[in-house]
Amino acid sequence: MDFGQFVSYIASGTVFTVGVTLIALPSGLLVGSILALLYVYGGKTAARVMKVYSTIFRGIPPIVLLFILFFAVSKGINLSAFWAGSLSLGMVSSAYQMEIVRGSLLSVSGDQLMAARAVGLSRLQAIRYVVLPQAVRLAIPPWSNEAAIIIKDSSLVYALGVPEILRRAQLIGASSQRYLLAYLSAAIIYFLLVFATTRLLELLENKLTIPSNP
Amino acid sequence: MPKPILTIKNLTKTYGKNVIFQNLDLTVNEGNTIVIIGPSGTGKSTLLRCINLLTRPNSGQIWLDDLEITAKGTDEDQVRQHIGMVFQNFLLFNHLTALGNVKLGLTKVKHMSEEAATQKAMHELSRVGLADRANHYPGQLSGGQQQRVGIARALAMDPRVMLFDEPTSALDPELIGEVLEVMRQLALEGMTMLVVTHEMGFAREVADRIVFMEKGYIVEEGSPDEMFNHPKFDRTREFLWKITELYGKKEKEAK
Amino acid sequence: MKKRFLLVVALVLVAAMLVGCASKPSSVLDKIQKDKKVLVGTSADYPPYEYVDDAGNKTGFDIDLMTEIAKRMGVELVWVDMPFDSLVAAVSSGKLDMSISCFNYDTERDKIVDFSEAYYTTEDAFVVSNTFTGTIAKPEDAANYKVGVQSGTVQDGWLTDNLVTPGLLKEANLSRYERVDQAALDLANGRIEVLMADYVPVQALVAQNPNLKVVYHGELSTGPINIVLPDGDAPLKAEINRIIKELQAEGFIDKLAVKYFSN
Repeated sequence: MDFGQFVSYIASGTVFTVGVTLIALPSGLLVGSILALLYVYGGKTAARVMKVYSTIFRGIPPIVLLFILFFAVSKGINLSAFWAGSLSLGMVSSAYQMEIVRGSLLSVSGDQLMAARAVGLSRLQAIRYVVLPQAVRLAIPPWSNEAAIIIKDSSLVYALGVPEILRRAQLIGASSQRYLLAYLSAAIIYFLLVFATTRLLELLENKLTIPSNP
Repeated sequence: MPKPILTIKNLTKTYGKNVIFQNLDLTVNEGNTIVIIGPSGTGKSTLLRCINLLTRPNSGQIWLDDLEITAKGTDEDQVRQHIGMVFQNFLLFNHLTALGNVKLGLTKVKHMSEEAATQKAMHELSRVGLADRANHYPGQLSGGQQQRVGIARALAMDPRVMLFDEPTSALDPELIGEVLEVMRQLALEGMTMLVVTHEMGFAREVADRIVFMEKGYIVEEGSPDEMFNHPKFDRTREFLWKITELYGKKEKEAK
Repeated sequence: MKKRFLLVVALVLVAAMLVGCASKPSSVLDKIQKDKKVLVGTSADYPPYEYVDDAGNKTGFDIDLMTEIAKRMGVELVWVDMPFDSLVAAVSSGKLDMSISCFNYDTERDKIVDFSEAYYTTEDAFVVSNTFTGTIAKPEDAANYKVGVQSGTVQDGWLTDNLVTPGLLKEANLSRYERVDQAALDLANGRIEVLMADYVPVQALVAQNPNLKVVYHGELSTGPINIVLPDGDAPLKAEINRIIKELQAEGFIDKLAVKYFSN
């Protein structure tokens, strides 16, 4: 087997890595954002429930949730390894992303909301047109961090046999006895994925930066 | 006979055991400029926030024209578009340009078309002399310019009355003049205004009436001449003397 | 409040598991025959039992064996690759019909799954040339000589874990070969003194090379290996055991051993 074949065998696992990330990250963002809005603007009871949610899901290692979902809960629903992995990562991520969005909502000062209401905007409009656009900008750096974590954590689905980058490195490492080369290739592919993602988000952040005089 | 735009009766606001003001009465007639003066912490800002319902009073009533806005079931959002508010810290929307700040209420509250809203917003920006800064973000504007955008933003909604909450307190002395000039112009145009300020020059020159508030009560009110030259109470005289000493110098520097 | 919430979560999980247990189908064999396919797990990172070839296809001793078993059951074989640690749980939870991955019997694993009869017993042998003058009375004695082994095999693993890591055998005195026949050549040449390999191919090797002889054989590296089956599924177990016996009687499994454990 030549070097090109070797690396391309591992690299073809990128499909699954990207797939898991593309399910876990946006679903976590959607759920996390809704929960964060409820946390910040939903009153005391909602805030308390969200706090419990956040504590629980941030307290469970993703791989444990993965096993619970795949081996225990999905007996009846028969979830595939890929989906069990994507969803459990999404669940854990939703708790982290809730905290990210909550933090950025809170760092937009409450006065901005008040000023919007003074113009006559409803509470919902004020949140949508004044608070959220500012919060999104603040959320990009920590969110970029979370994206990097999800890309790397997607490797956990190897434990269920999803043939992503890490599992393929293991397999080809075993059959060729070139473990170092296999894991090094995997590391480089992961690095490139994370690097490209964070770089893209950096560009987005720069593009969205509100101009101001120094 | 002058027509009252804003009528306040028996208004009381408390935070827990802290009484901010109690049984307050105040009437603002159409086209008048009322300046509220008084030491810090006497509930002047809270009064303004009660008037546009950003804070709910504990008891008492407020009428905007003939509508009792403190009545149960009042559409607050509806009321607020008729009451313009200018804040001490400007509170422009940081992510929007000057134009965007002025337009937001027009498109989202008044549901005007983009084109009409832009035209209206540009008109308001011209009124405060900032048409050439329309595409600047708040971070690119001086404090005085930001506050003028804040005024334009409130004016764009065609309010019945404008509330100013210490509009020049956060400004460097050299920037106060441009904001006061805009306000003076508004008063001349007949805008009804309720202004909380320490700018005694403005009060003396522009106000139809001056209201002196202390410790949650209206101590005295009258025309600038009455208040500055023949106050009925020693407390009024004392406060005015102090404030003129403190702010008078700053004001002169500004001019 | 938090405690109560956690309790609810725990109860839901327990309930899910109970429901899963209660709804176990009569026999997985029925399902396999009805669907005309069998879902088999393996961890394809363990050459020569199961691994991927250059084209990325699964191959190896277990793979060939299972392919034949499925053929004799008259069903399609669907492989599911999974890390070794997850295979037992996957069979236990019904995600897989069975797993074949060089499994040894283990009392802990037996609590949640069943084991077929052993389809193969890995016996390891130490081979020397006829001119060898030393003694290997027990396996550890091999540490006193220059040893050869096929790289990456279970014998390689045993030597590394039991002789090299404890410091009995110097790393320099262990030669790893890509193939057993290369090692046999060096053994004949005197470059190594002892060759450790699977007993089945060794017997064939010795038969061909009169200069070589076996000085020790026993279950060192692996021992008997079995197929992991769902717990308490008697019909499936009977069917699999029947086919295993058939294949053993026909010499099919010994042929596989020669194919995979000697070159």
